[in-house]
Amino acid sequence: MSEASGGTRFGNVKQLPSAHLLGSGTPMCAGCGGLEALHQVCDVLGEKTVFVNAAGCMTLLASYPFTPFRGSWLYTAMASAPAGAQGVRDALDLLRQRGQLPAAEDLQVVVLTGDGAAYGMGLSATSGAIERDLDFIYLCYDNEGYGNTGQQYSGATPHAARTATSRGPGGFGGDKKPLFDIWAAHRPAYVATVIGAEPLDLARKVEKAAGLRGPRLLIALSPCPTGWDFDPRESVAIGRLAVQSGVWPLKEYVDGRVVHTKAPTRRVPLERYLEKQGRFAHLFRPERNAAVLDGLQAAVDAYWDGAATT
Amino acid sequence: MYRIRFHGRGGQGMKSASRILGTALFRAGYEVQDAPRYGAERRGAPIFAFVRADRRPIDERGIIRRPDLVVVADDSLVAVPAAGVLAGLDRHSLLLINSHTGTATWRERLNLAGPVLTLPAAAEVADRAGLPHVGAACAGAAASLLGAVDRELLQAALEEELGHLGEAVLAQNREVALHAFDAMAAHSGAVRTRDEPPATQWTAPDWVELPFEGSGAAAPAIHAGGTSALVPTGLWRTQRPVVDYARCNRCWWVCSTFCPDSAISVNAERQPVIDYDHCKGCLVCVAQCPPHAISAVPEHAAALEGAP
Amino acid sequence: MSRVLLTGNAAAAWGARLADVDYVPAFPITPQTEIIETLAAWIDRGELPARLVTLDSEHSMLTAAGAAAATGVRVFSATSSQGLLYAMEMLYNVAGWRVPLVLVNVSRGLAAPVTLEPDHNDVLAARDSGFLQLHCASCQEVLDSVLLAYRLAEDAEVRLPVLVNMDGFYLSFTREPVSLPEAAAVRAFLPAFDPGSLRFRASAPESQAVAVLGGGPYSYFRYETHLAALSALQVYERVSAEFAAQFGRDHPAVEAYRADDAEYLFVMLGSFATKARAALDRLRAAGWRIGLLRPRLLRPLPQLLLRELAAGRRAIAVIDQSIAMGGAGILYNELAGALYGMPDAPLLASFTGGLGGRDIAPEEFFEIARVLRDAAARGVAPAPRLLYTHDELREVRKLQAIARAERAELAGDADE
Repeated sequence: MSEASGGTRFGNVKQLPSAHLLGSGTPMCAGCGGLEALHQVCDVLGEKTVFVNAAGCMTLLASYPFTPFRGSWLYTAMASAPAGAQGVRDALDLLRQRGQLPAAEDLQVVVLTGDGAAYGMGLSATSGAIERDLDFIYLCYDNEGYGNTGQQYSGATPHAARTATSRGPGGFGGDKKPLFDIWAAHRPAYVATVIGAEPLDLARKVEKAAGLRGPRLLIALSPCPTGWDFDPRESVAIGRLAVQSGVWPLKEYVDGRVVHTKAPTRRVPLERYLEKQGRFAHLFRPERNAAVLDGLQAAVDAYWDGAATT
Repeated sequence: MYRIRFHGRGGQGMKSASRILGTALFRAGYEVQDAPRYGAERRGAPIFAFVRADRRPIDERGIIRRPDLVVVADDSLVAVPAAGVLAGLDRHSLLLINSHTGTATWRERLNLAGPVLTLPAAAEVADRAGLPHVGAACAGAAASLLGAVDRELLQAALEEELGHLGEAVLAQNREVALHAFDAMAAHSGAVRTRDEPPATQWTAPDWVELPFEGSGAAAPAIHAGGTSALVPTGLWRTQRPVVDYARCNRCWWVCSTFCPDSAISVNAERQPVIDYDHCKGCLVCVAQCPPHAISAVPEHAAALEGAP
Repeated sequence: MSRVLLTGNAAAAWGARLADVDYVPAFPITPQTEIIETLAAWIDRGELPARLVTLDSEHSMLTAAGAAAATGVRVFSATSSQGLLYAMEMLYNVAGWRVPLVLVNVSRGLAAPVTLEPDHNDVLAARDSGFLQLHCASCQEVLDSVLLAYRLAEDAEVRLPVLVNMDGFYLSFTREPVSLPEAAAVRAFLPAFDPGSLRFRASAPESQAVAVLGGGPYSYFRYETHLAALSALQVYERVSAEFAAQFGRDHPAVEAYRADDAEYLFVMLGSFATKARAALDRLRAAGWRIGLLRPRLLRPLPQLLLRELAAGRRAIAVIDQSIAMGGAGILYNELAGALYGMPDAPLLASFTGGLGGRDIAPEEFFEIARVLRDAAARGVAPAPRLLYTHDELREVRKLQAIARAERAELAGDADE
């Protein structure tokens, strides 16, 4: 395996999975960046999974009697999906120990939540699961707001974004919480950021995570046509700009080290990313808000300056 | 009591239509209810909103089962059973369809007991999910058909409901709403209220003693995988991606990987095959295809041509 | 079978141990903590082949409990008071999943103001969650009820979680003689858990606890859960009869103490009911025809049994060890609902006592009996009464004086 593949079976895009395991017919919005990431994750993980879900957009993936999953599913509540994963994993381990579950019947336990649960209400349960070294994967689809309720701001909302609860001229006054750092500070087996617009990077990371044991956590930035206000066809283009502008650094934490897996060699100005989204339109019209735009760009630049020196 | 339903797709402004009409009727002195039907609606998915208006306080609530007027913003929904456009229509109910197809054709096609009218649709757009100002047009047409609201009240309602969008947007909406209002002037008052049947004439509910069933059946669990394939999300689509196989370079992976809905598979010849039963028409594939081999075709046009 | 001195907490732990539980998600809270400490010690010493995991909260604890049960292992957990309320969302959830597990609640008064001693507002807050409820009056009953609870929860007809309740301090920290059944006998009564379709397996995809949109299917699933809870009445009768045959201890759905010929009845839940037993023995000796009804099974509510047991009495005093702010007594309402419409229904009187562990003195039971008799003679129910004395109010006045005085002194300091 080549170095570029990160030691995985995915050397180039031609080696990405061609069979799609997540079924169609879901109630997610057209152009959902979260669903795009999820289907790519499923393609790599395979069918031997049990998804443990917290309240969010994707709770509706399994709406009686319809499910797109070929594996299993358990809905819990908004705050406690990682605790649900604990119960499932522990029970599977007990059954394995007692010879009541053949190895071939075992499952990868995957927590699936939005940013509302991951950055906020579920943080305590996640912290507990990591501290107990729970053997699970956590996939957060991060659309930077409480999307299922109409995109109110959450702990994941970026500065200045207009949301249903930050409609003022300045948009959201806070800053996006550094969940990657919060998770990594727990020293779990693996943390990574991914995005559906970069499927090769995503596939390698999911493959790597699947091969490890312990807490493995993935944050997928999920361009959201409904919540971010853009034409659904722009979903991948906006995702790619998030990476190219450097506002969504693709990176991983493993063995105590953070590595950028796809650092943009020359960063696209952040405005190119922002101007495509209605939630930032107030920064451009009626007139350009240079102060805020410069501040946002400076924050991205500062991040990468810091990344270069560490 | 007036009972009015607006049918459209997520994004077409049916909630606005119900609010504009509700406000106009309220200003005309009516007691009013207006509400969208909330569920897991998504852009492009069939949705509806409704308005009740009466001279007395309204005790009825929820879905309107026997409408006096049904307004359809997007004629492609009429034939979609899941959209429920025709639910509860009888000889009393007026059906107004926003369409380029003529009234005679619709009457023949639907063969309904009640009256059918068409609102001559504005210029066609490629993406009907973004049909401009159709909500205002539906509200204006409905107001005219009721005959209970004059032009001035309609304008005031438009201002109240859409004023926050700015004068330019308001002006455009005002223009289409008044145009639709005037277009229906010949049928002013065509919508009539009706009395509820007396409580002496009723069919007893067919109540059942719910059988006690084991938790295997009576727990909210699905004992199979992949059942969502039975959900025809292709109905949400207002634009259809069509592959020009002559231009397709058989990369195989771009459209298939980026399709959020797993609705593009690749055949043995490494050609993409789009599953139109489930493709929601996001058009990410159109935007991402490197040789631009996938184009967007308006769904109503594709349907007329009998495209796949 | 050996007879040993055990606290209620230890009896609960013994119940879990004898039930051979697989999994114990835990979270400490007074006065329940001794249960999980005891189980942890046994597990650490290799005496109990189970796994105990401390979660980050009771909400997480109940989630893990339900998830493990949904995966097919036997689960035990315990909590109290604020913990039960913190887990409340998951009580409703887990019941809706239709998974069997046993949760012991050690009753403790709810904040605010925060306190440690018992009353029943915590457990009664969960009464419509779908968890079945068994209320215990002795440490022996705690152990036995845990075993009964597993039979009830895992019964193919029922498949619901069961809550076993004991009063904090009065049972949890109080040692009493408890007969420990032999493990083999327990195994005969309670075989290994057969999860049936509750499982997650690679070869059999299963989506559990999925969203249900629309009032029609939602009503169906909710009502089926209700029917399952109702079916637990008959299952309990069968299972408790088996238990009595196996172990010689009878635990009926409603304990009726000296009630056969009684004109008057006390109705109470939990360990304070034994205080009522002691008092009515003395009343009996004084010539009263008075008895006690103590529902052990509160969910499902044995309505028909309560009607049978109440029939023909002159008056009944319901003594609630809980308070429904702005409403009537909770147990009082349960009984009133069960008896309403009964021809010649007895007169019902509502008393509230024992809040936050406040004692109920024998004389108070005597006085309640007198009030009952006078009310029955007049044919008019008395006004609801809080059991509370002038002495207690005088004590509160002293505390209030201090609370005020300190504030006044501080204010005085500031002025100087």
